[in-house]
Amino acid sequence: MIQLFDLSKKFGPNVALNDIRLRIRQGEFVFVTGPSGAGKTTLLRLIFGAEKPASGYILINAINLNRISRPKLDLLRRKIGFVFQDFKLLPKKTVSENVAIALEVIGLRPKFIRKKTHQTLRLVGLADKEKAYPLSLSGGEQQRVAIARAIVKDPLILLADEPTGNLDPQLTMEIMELFKSIHRKGTTVVVATHSQELLQGTDCRTIVLNHGKISEDTL
Amino acid sequence: MRSYFVRQALINIRKNLSVHILSLGTIVASLLILGLFLLLFGNLNNWLQRWGSALSMSIYLKDGISEYRRDKVDSFIRGLPGAEIKRFISKEEALKDLRAALGDDAGFLSRLERNPLPASYEVVFGSKGTYGVNPEKIKGELEKLDGVEEVQYSKEWLKKLEGFLDVVRLIGFIIGGLLCLCVVFIVTNTIKLTLYSRKDEIEILKLVGATDWFVKSPFLLEGMIQGTIGGILAVLTLFLGYLILPTHISLLGLAPLDFVFLPAGYLILILILGTVLGVIGSFIAIGRFFEV
Repeated sequence: MIQLFDLSKKFGPNVALNDIRLRIRQGEFVFVTGPSGAGKTTLLRLIFGAEKPASGYILINAINLNRISRPKLDLLRRKIGFVFQDFKLLPKKTVSENVAIALEVIGLRPKFIRKKTHQTLRLVGLADKEKAYPLSLSGGEQQRVAIARAIVKDPLILLADEPTGNLDPQLTMEIMELFKSIHRKGTTVVVATHSQELLQGTDCRTIVLNHGKISEDTL
Repeated sequence: MRSYFVRQALINIRKNLSVHILSLGTIVASLLILGLFLLLFGNLNNWLQRWGSALSMSIYLKDGISEYRRDKVDSFIRGLPGAEIKRFISKEEALKDLRAALGDDAGFLSRLERNPLPASYEVVFGSKGTYGVNPEKIKGELEKLDGVEEVQYSKEWLKKLEGFLDVVRLIGFIIGGLLCLCVVFIVTNTIKLTLYSRKDEIEILKLVGATDWFVKSPFLLEGMIQGTIGGILAVLTLFLGYLILPTHISLLGLAPLDFVFLPAGYLILILILGTVLGVIGSFIAIGRFFEV
């Protein structure tokens, strides 16, 4: 479960998030939307522990991120998958190596890592690109590598920052189906997007951010 | 996971090979200088001990000493514990030795009206009997004997040599310390370069939940490998140099001295030092790099 209490975040004089109170239950599928600069990415980064709040608290499965030690944050991150908006892929590593990194840090056996990486790449439709380097891939393919790295460890929470930003409608639907299948296994999925097409007709909970505040929550 | 660390460390070295070769060269040079100091100091110490353990004494006799008095001096010397008369040098032999030593410049000796050189005994105290021998006391007793003009012994200049050795030791410590700092500085900067070249990867590793030690270990290993290879190459270079250079040295007209190589303990010390300095260098480099 993700709980945010009176959460605020500032970057210098700019207020990115202001007095956010939010509860996302385990196994929920949530969209966070709003215009650019509304604070979507900041919100995800705070949940991930990549930013520290100016005030307020963040609890992840009852763990207070404000008081978490560095080693415990590392362990917590192994249970959270993050799809970064800029993918954060390593250009000098192959697609397979980029995905395998998420399992290597856990210290799993190389044989299992190879098998699981292959399975996940097949799931995102990149089984034939295992040996390719990220820069030789299209934007959509790079995005799928980033998604594969986030889901390869079967995370409890999946945070995705504009995961369909570079994808065509067909691929967007495929990725969303992928997220839904992960969600069906019990993973909490939080997708930050400004794409209205993605939200049309969805029955998932949608949180709208505006100027760092929650202006709407369809809970 | 250990194989992952080794693989990563080797990848780091391969990807920054030119930087690593340069830094390795400097580490080898630093450890080599350190090794040379140890070699020099060790040998000086050995020689000093050898000379020190063989106390030698020159006993000069008065001109015109009677046979009876000379026998008295002779038997007194033979009665000293550990003493061995290496040679009795008569006045004539002394002049002959001087003439031989001066070579072409010995012409003026023929113009001398009389031989001014005294007869003398060259006495050596064997190594077994040296400890416990008080040369100053023996000198005093000998000079009291009728017919003895003067007594000189080798310890006087050995004391000066010991003082010199203390200075060498001090210089060795200072230079050795500076060289160690130099190695640490080089390794730190090399590892920093690797860290900067892998900054993105480190950030991603941290974001996917790598512990600090998981990220740091390959870099520590990298410094350790560099230091160890530096140590091995320094020892090998030192040994090659030793093989090439002459091992018998004739110094100050004394008996030839053996120039011995460093004992195994010192070699291990250089290797350990290289490894430890490599680890310290990388430890400093990775110190504050992981706040993601």
